[in-house]
Amino acid sequence: MEHSITEQDGVSIVALSGDVDLESSPIAREVLLAAVDKKMPVLADLAEVNYIDSSGIASLVETLQAAKSTGKGFGLVQVSESALRVLELARLDKVFTIYGTIDDGIKGES
Amino acid sequence: MTNRATTAQPEILEKSDISEQLSLLSELGREFAASLDINTTLERAIERITDHLEAEGGALFLLQNENTQLRCEACVGETDITGIEIASDQGIVGRCVEQNTGEIVKDVSHDTDFNQSVDEQTGHTTKSILVAPLTVNDEKIGAIELINKKGKNGLFDDTDLHLLEVLSNSAALAILNARMAADLVEQEKLQRELELAAEIQRNLLPTASDPSWPILGINIPARTVSGDFFDFFELNDGRIAFCLGDVSGKGMNAALLMAKTASLYRCLGKTSDHPGKLMAHINEEICETSTRGMFVTLVGGIYDPKSKLVRLANAGHEPPLHHIGENEFIAIEAEAPPVGITTLAVPEDGYVEVELSLKDGPLYIFTDGATEGVMADGSRFEISGIETLLSENRGQPLSFRLQSVVNTVNRGEGPLHDDITILGLDAASPSEAVLSFDFGAHASKLKQTRARVSPWLQNAGLPEAVVKDVVLAIDEACQNIIRHAYGGNSDQNIELKIIRQADELLIYLRDFATRIDVSTIKPRALEDIKPGGLGTHFINEIMDEVDYLEPKDDNEGNLMRMVKSIIAE
Repeated sequence: MEHSITEQDGVSIVALSGDVDLESSPIAREVLLAAVDKKMPVLADLAEVNYIDSSGIASLVETLQAAKSTGKGFGLVQVSESALRVLELARLDKVFTIYGTIDDGIKGES
Repeated sequence: MTNRATTAQPEILEKSDISEQLSLLSELGREFAASLDINTTLERAIERITDHLEAEGGALFLLQNENTQLRCEACVGETDITGIEIASDQGIVGRCVEQNTGEIVKDVSHDTDFNQSVDEQTGHTTKSILVAPLTVNDEKIGAIELINKKGKNGLFDDTDLHLLEVLSNSAALAILNARMAADLVEQEKLQRELELAAEIQRNLLPTASDPSWPILGINIPARTVSGDFFDFFELNDGRIAFCLGDVSGKGMNAALLMAKTASLYRCLGKTSDHPGKLMAHINEEICETSTRGMFVTLVGGIYDPKSKLVRLANAGHEPPLHHIGENEFIAIEAEAPPVGITTLAVPEDGYVEVELSLKDGPLYIFTDGATEGVMADGSRFEISGIETLLSENRGQPLSFRLQSVVNTVNRGEGPLHDDITILGLDAASPSEAVLSFDFGAHASKLKQTRARVSPWLQNAGLPEAVVKDVVLAIDEACQNIIRHAYGGNSDQNIELKIIRQADELLIYLRDFATRIDVSTIKPRALEDIKPGGLGTHFINEIMDEVDYLEPKDDNEGNLMRMVKSIIAE
């Protein structure tokens, strides 16, 4: 898994790519929680996620809970088909706010 | 009810009488509704009615033997006449049923229809009779007869007749309901028996073959039971005997002949070297005992895995197809009639055998349920359609090719016209059917494992979305082993074995950790949104069956089995 963190219009965008699995999800978790710790709303860009497992989904859930507890926005953008399938399996596709594009995400969360 | 001539002119009843009668009616109605047993219903009905009308005795007659006879089904009073039968046009009861009219016969000695014989036999004196027909919507069921009113010189009056008619209507409805309920129970019993028969039949088909065998079969019955069958089994010298047959007709009689033929084939086939001779024996046996007009089209053969040669005989069956080139097939036509018709047309040394080599390509044997099956556009599949599909799919595993033929006809859009059975032999196919390897129980090994499983599943002909799901389930199961069985990353191994069968994928995961208590493995509740615990839910969601087996080799470790059905959705 690779990750990058960028900032756009006061929103922090964490892009994950590759496989978010048991080996790499601790890194994803750390990066996402660190982003939520800052003052900005956070978007997780999942466009390049080929594979995500239950541990990866758990990192997203933990981030969502951390964001909610501090009143910050957290949304998913450009969710890849693979990731969406796993969110659906977990019945979490309605729990997360999912945006089609980064622009929509920025508008929605800022 | 409208066409009935009623002799009774109901008197104006006292209010208390009306309420008493209404409550009897509703009580009877409740009892009838509660009882599904027809005899109990009848006995209760006649008891209550006799009692309420203060008669000395009562009898309930039902029509039977195509309405030619009236049989007393229940009675009360001094004389038990249950079981006596009279012609349905005889006596006062007969007249009542025939004319569909209730009546009071105040003095039976003046009635020419009165049948003295019962009184003579029983020593009882009948003075007055009250009868009312049992009818529902003009369907005659029988009649109720009451004898001698208690007190009052033994005479009934018009009020009694009116009341009996009302009660008879309600009883008739109850009897009809009880009959329908009994029919339903009988139907369900038959259905259960049919399902048991179907289960026995399914067990006659060979269980999933050894994955190293180059042979696979699929049977889809059109009804609960099937007239088609296939079988394959190993001979002592390692060769594989196989057969496929189709019994004429459908339903239970076809299923029984199927069971007989399949049993004969398996039993005699274990000691036979020549399928043609074996089939001639079976022909003799079935000709001797079979019901006229029933026969079995049958293909039997033996495959030698060493030489890859197949010897085959065809008794009146749809020609098997040998796929020898890109679009080229050889049809192996039958040269003798089906089994069970005559012994005369079969050569002395058995049905003619044909030899072919699986090195030239795979062999397919199928029933006319496939060729005569209707495709999505309404046209028949035909042999040409099967050939086209098999040519298109020639790069796919055998299981996929067979399933694609079945799926073309069996699209789940309502009942099939005929059973579909297909058997395939392909010497080039078996290596594709199993993937087996082991890897370290370590998070860092999971990506490689997925990279190995994923293309294998794709090659096995699974759709992209199914491949992704199955890979996820395997990954999650491995994670559970790493986390819960080994308690974290470990130096020890996980063994993975995937078997691709005709219609399902079997996945075995074996670890060598301490035995775990499988009852503790539960998916977490989904409404409770929290990180973690989702893996088992994913596995259960994706797989059709998940179970934990005892490893055969020793006591240590755990063996998990997951089954994914891969019949095209």
